Amino acid sequence: MSSAGFTSPFGANSNPFGSNRVDTGAMHRVIEEDENDIVTSPTTPNFGSGAAFRGPFGADSAYDPPTAGLRSPPPNPEGYPHQYNFARRTSVSAESLKPVADTYDNWTPPSHPKSPEQLERLKHAIGGNFLFSHLDDEQSAQILGALVEKPIPTKGIKVIIQGDAGDFFYVVEEGSFDVYVNPTGALQVGPDGKGQLVGKIEAGGSFGELALMYGAPRAATVISAEPHCTLWALDRVTFRRILMESTFARRRMYESFLEEVPLLSSLTPYERSKIADALESQKFPPGHTIIREGDPGHSFFLLESGEAVAYRKGNETPVKHYKKGDFFGELALLNDAPRAASVVSQTEVKVATLGKSAFQRLLGPVEGIMRRTKYVGVKSGVEEMDPLQVS
Amino acid sequence: MDNGEAPLDLASRKLTLSDFQKVRTLGTGTFARVVLVRPAHGTEEDRSRVYALKMLRKTEVIKLKQLDHVRHERRILSDVSGHPFITNFVASFSDHDFLYLLLDYIPGGELFTYLRKYRRFDEDMARFYAAEIVLVLEYLHEQQGGIAYRDMKPENLLLDAEGHIKLVDFGFAKRLGNNDDEHAVETYTLCGTPEYLAPEVIHNKGHTTAVDWWALGILIYEFLTGYPPFWHQNPIEIYKQIVEKPVVFPHDPPISPAAQDIIRQLCTVDRSRRLGNISGGAARVKAHPFFNGVDWDATIQQRQRGPIIPPVRYPGDAQCFDIYPEEDATRDEYTDDMAARYDDYFTDF
Ligand SMILES: Nc1ncnc2c1ncn2[C@@H]1O[C@H](COP(=O)(O)OP(=O)(O)O)[C@@H](O)[C@H]1O
Ligand SMILES: [Mg+2]
Repeated sequence: MSSAGFTSPFGANSNPFGSNRVDTGAMHRVIEEDENDIVTSPTTPNFGSGAAFRGPFGADSAYDPPTAGLRSPPPNPEGYPHQYNFARRTSVSAESLKPVADTYDNWTPPSHPKSPEQLERLKHAIGGNFLFSHLDDEQSAQILGALVEKPIPTKGIKVIIQGDAGDFFYVVEEGSFDVYVNPTGALQVGPDGKGQLVGKIEAGGSFGELALMYGAPRAATVISAEPHCTLWALDRVTFRRILMESTFARRRMYESFLEEVPLLSSLTPYERSKIADALESQKFPPGHTIIREGDPGHSFFLLESGEAVAYRKGNETPVKHYKKGDFFGELALLNDAPRAASVVSQTEVKVATLGKSAFQRLLGPVEGIMRRTKYVGVKSGVEEMDPLQVS
Repeated sequence: MDNGEAPLDLASRKLTLSDFQKVRTLGTGTFARVVLVRPAHGTEEDRSRVYALKMLRKTEVIKLKQLDHVRHERRILSDVSGHPFITNFVASFSDHDFLYLLLDYIPGGELFTYLRKYRRFDEDMARFYAAEIVLVLEYLHEQQGGIAYRDMKPENLLLDAEGHIKLVDFGFAKRLGNNDDEHAVETYTLCGTPEYLAPEVIHNKGHTTAVDWWALGILIYEFLTGYPPFWHQNPIEIYKQIVEKPVVFPHDPPISPAAQDIIRQLCTVDRSRRLGNISGGAARVKAHPFFNGVDWDATIQQRQRGPIIPPVRYPGDAQCFDIYPEEDATRDEYTDDMAARYDDYFTDF
């Protein structure tokens, strides 16, 4: 590797980025955002305090070659993103959460009753938000249930205060709210302490979503603009806990199902967990043909809920029943041989599925995994239990 | 204070702050301050040494709910110490208000400083640093039984006097299972640095060592362009981009196809396709065309000096570090109440 031209990066000018490193006050950060994003915090909450980037390689840098050509590049030269912030970045962290299933405790998410209309409005209000859009049905139902009503009876109540640690996300049910930003980064005393009005949030709007990720200082102050406002509030720990508990429970379920698959009996817990991670959940209505006899097999299925049956051509009576925890089609992990039977859902079913290619990407060929097992009964065991095995 | 010739016993749990003289602050983070120190007594040889002392204020650790994280940091640092590309851990101790980690002093400063100074690295330089980092990740993930580092970024990569990488800041490192031990394989606490967070962390899906491979992709991108692929002044917008947008490359500087490919493969949302996480692990990363020509044995043995030789004039020279205010803003008292509640968490120090 060449090191030519890189003898010393240290020019006499010790601060290559000049004032541009410290000029991004909360002000311009916020003003460009649209309404939903107003009440978030700067990436670097303590930005400006520790980031004084002063002459570390000052006049005493005896080793600086006089010709160091790299001194003081312009801070935002062509080709750099507009307003890119070149400062050191601080880490962020939420409080640590451990799944309670770990400790055999029980946790049920809080649930606050709502009318169907309220639920509809809430769904609409959070539906487009990237923090909610990937949730499955159960998770969104729990989250919607956990939102708690917060009446704001009078005008002028500060719901969130710039600079304070944020723990809640809010959806406006009724009324409207004004958003103020003080360029110093925090609410100050005095008549103008809240800074400038930068926006308004109406019913159906929301604010404070960064608080659902970690506790960062609020980037704005939000004040009720009329009497009789109503908010829905959701705190970070409840939000994260709902997601975590359901994900955790599902992963453990997948892992325990996978343990029962003879073909995969030699997987280590770590490998099972990788597979569990890659399984994709799918729902089918009753009477749906999940796999069809004669089709080439590409993926493998675990039955998460509901019931299904296997049929063979020319035979009216099912050759096998499947219930929660059962699996089928696992020979597809070995080869693309045609399916030896059809599997049809009897009820609404939820399956977790994994393709052969995803399996191989993660763990390599199944043959290699099978070869690890000390006993040779795997294949015949599968044959006996699984009608999909060509006999 | 004893200024005699008795050797300073660094292995002793009885170290106190008065055993050291502060030279200056090297860096500050969210709740830590790292200072360059010299032993205040001991033999002449002892006193000629320098160390980096990471100081964590207990009240801040509690307020920011980092109790678990600091315990992991202490534990994991001492477990992984000794790897050529990881900062060596010397000792830990605590007093009424602070937790202390005593580390070897790495004099070259942050790779961050050089990257900003140069604006960007050419592909040879980026490859050199990326190769050393791949070896660190291979070690943490595969040889140390599944340690996720979780805060990869140029600010946490220091250069030693020869220009090699030293990874610092194990503040978010966590031991996860990867074989038959009792540790859970995935973990759920959101932590890291906004621009470097993996999508599964943002979505709280449970994350694994795969987050470090994602971050390596972001890092190589930032090496080559001077800025990370997902950037915005509003962190929420960064997170939206991370989960929704593909990595796009600028026309200028031109990024080679091999570099683009390794970045895309590392920054793959689907973990069953993410390089480093897929079968073969780190070996597959090393075999990627971007690393063609890298002699991995020579790399681990540090047979070549780095492409940047930091201007370190003597062992305790701190000119490669930025200057920081020496005073802490916060002075919250660590009360007896807090001590009664939390001191148990700090017994490892
Ligand atoms: N062993 C060391 N030698 C020299 N500088 C160090 C050392 N450890 C940390 N630093 C400096 O201090 C900064 C902050 O330390 P770090 O451990 O990253 O703390 P934080 O957890 O607050 O980010 C680092 O980015 C680096 O500049
Ligand atoms: Mg750090």
